[in-house]
Amino acid sequence: MKRYDILIVDDEQRYANMLANRLTLRGLTCQVRYDGRTAIDIVEKVFFAWVILDLRLPDCYGVEVLSRIKAIRPDTRVIILTGHGTEQDRRQCLALGAHAFVNKPLDIKRMIAIMGQDKA
Amino acid sequence: MDKFKANLKSLYPHFHRQSDEHLNPYYTFQDYRQIWGVGIFFLMATALLPLIAMTLICYQLVDQSIDTESLLRAERLASNTRRAVSFFLEERLAALTFTVNEMGYERLTDPSRLEEVLRNLKLGFGGLTDLSVIDDSGTQVAYAGPFNLEGKDYSRQAWFMECQRHDACVSEIFSGYRDVPHIVVAVKSMQPEGRFFVLRATLETERLIQTLSSYKTGEHTDIFLTNREGVMQTPSRFYEGDLNRLTIPLPAYSDRTEALISSDPQGQPIVIGYAFIDTKIAPTSFVLMVVKKKAGMMKVWLDLRSNINWLLIVSAVVIALVVFLTSSFMVNKMFDADREKARTMVAAEQNSQLASIGQLAAGVAHEINNPLALINETAGYIKDLFILKEQYRGDAELIEHIDSIIETVERCGTITRQLLGFSRRFDVQIQPINLGKMVSDVINFHKKEAEYRAIAIHVDIPATLPLIETDRGKLQQIILNLVNNAFQATDNGGWLDVRADVEGAEHVRLTIRDNGCGISEEHLNKIFEPFFTTKKEGQGTGLGLSITYGLVKKLHGDIAVQSKQGEGTTFVVTLPIHTEKGFDA
Repeated sequence: MKRYDILIVDDEQRYANMLANRLTLRGLTCQVRYDGRTAIDIVEKVFFAWVILDLRLPDCYGVEVLSRIKAIRPDTRVIILTGHGTEQDRRQCLALGAHAFVNKPLDIKRMIAIMGQDKA
Repeated sequence: MDKFKANLKSLYPHFHRQSDEHLNPYYTFQDYRQIWGVGIFFLMATALLPLIAMTLICYQLVDQSIDTESLLRAERLASNTRRAVSFFLEERLAALTFTVNEMGYERLTDPSRLEEVLRNLKLGFGGLTDLSVIDDSGTQVAYAGPFNLEGKDYSRQAWFMECQRHDACVSEIFSGYRDVPHIVVAVKSMQPEGRFFVLRATLETERLIQTLSSYKTGEHTDIFLTNREGVMQTPSRFYEGDLNRLTIPLPAYSDRTEALISSDPQGQPIVIGYAFIDTKIAPTSFVLMVVKKKAGMMKVWLDLRSNINWLLIVSAVVIALVVFLTSSFMVNKMFDADREKARTMVAAEQNSQLASIGQLAAGVAHEINNPLALINETAGYIKDLFILKEQYRGDAELIEHIDSIIETVERCGTITRQLLGFSRRFDVQIQPINLGKMVSDVINFHKKEAEYRAIAIHVDIPATLPLIETDRGKLQQIILNLVNNAFQATDNGGWLDVRADVEGAEHVRLTIRDNGCGISEEHLNKIFEPFFTTKKEGQGTGLGLSITYGLVKKLHGDIAVQSKQGEGTTFVVTLPIHTEKGFDA
């Protein structure tokens, strides 16, 4: 089975691609999906160490995607990356098993730090 | 005087003076002055009309009673007096008749016997002056009494002629030969040979006058006798004029005792009881008059009437005062309640405006956040490239990314411009507005939500729609509220339809239609009421549509709603195309 380090799920395509570019530059392997359904499809087929997930998706809420991913792949760590996250969203996501909850705009160093810490 | 005016003003209900220009007239639906006036009118009418009617009925009854009672009393008094006068005369006539039949001509012409008869009669009845016997030629043949009138000829005297016709007679009161007022009563007797003689007695009038006065009751009563020509026979206190004539008209002949209401020469109302006196033995020319002044008899009634008047006046004043104070109190309460409601509405509208600004700012911040994140990532990536990969210098891909940054910044600029457009709504002013542009501005803010919830938005506003002169901010809030409302009512996957057209020459009609949950019929007529909500407690203030209604009215427009539960709701806002500048916006 093919392994990737990271799956990025965000409806803003250019944003998702840009983030993938930046992570790739740092030696990580990335896949990009723009909606919830295709994201779950690929998670079912492929194992990701990390999923970076936006909460607002055109077809469903990120929270649903989060619970599906945790159901399919309990070992996959999910970082919620959203522009409009409220305190309530944060608590709900952490309760559902999200590893971290990060607001846009993103500080890339922080993202790397979150993932590096876990590796170590 | 000024102080009095000030006091009067303080009594006056305060809604008359109050004008609060901060409150818009559409908040107060009542004309308080009219309610006050109408209230006072009806209360007064209800309270006073029965009172006045009662008083009038009472007046009429009193009047009728006075008349009936006066007539009855006068008639009764006249009747009693008539009986007394008739009896007085009849008694004496009967005595003479007895004497004539008992004694006969021979014995009566004997002076000593005549003297004896006179003495006996005086003893029996009193009031007799003299007695005489007169033969059929009118010559006095025998006399007993203080005056020596023997041989006098009475053939031309009225009473003698009367006596010839009837069996007896009663004269009027006259002075005759002896110069003292007296009445002559005479009885005729037939002799066997066909001749006749007359026994005549002279009565003092004093007795009769005394009898009459004994019937007088009260100060205003006058009882007297006249003859049938209206010449006074006994003295009258009030109604004796020149030449002993009666000063009031003599009533028409009647054989019964009668009473009538007339007036005296001064025009004062009087009640007259009268009777034409006839004895059983001989007719007389006496007319008995009983005259009462109505004013005197009415005193008790007049007192009663004056009491009624006072009662009416005092009651009316008390009722008027109570009605005035009650009406003022009630309408003041109503006015205060309405004003309080209006204040709450104004405050709620301001709160809602602030809430709208907050909502708007949050929406804008969210919208700008995504482009900013993209700028951040793109710029970060370029920086990464510079730091991590030397060979990318001058690369075409970099230019592409820089273009991306510029494009994203433009996106932020658009959002900022829209934000500015919204903030301009706080300048209260009339300006020409492109309705289509405003609707698309508002819809833009719901685009994301519509995308997520798969709500289809159709906007059909013809480009030919004229610009409308109105207040930008308020119109924007109206549209925002209605679109928000439609979004809340619509399920995911529903649709929203916004269209506009011209109605008549002066109005524009904006229709906002959704296929959401709709409004039940029982709620439909309440939805513009403040604080009416079907949402759970804490989720809606119930002010949105009420404020929208207020804003539409402020813009001199109209708003209507049609809805069917489960099928959707349509709001139709009609706005004037032209609005005078400087109206109360």
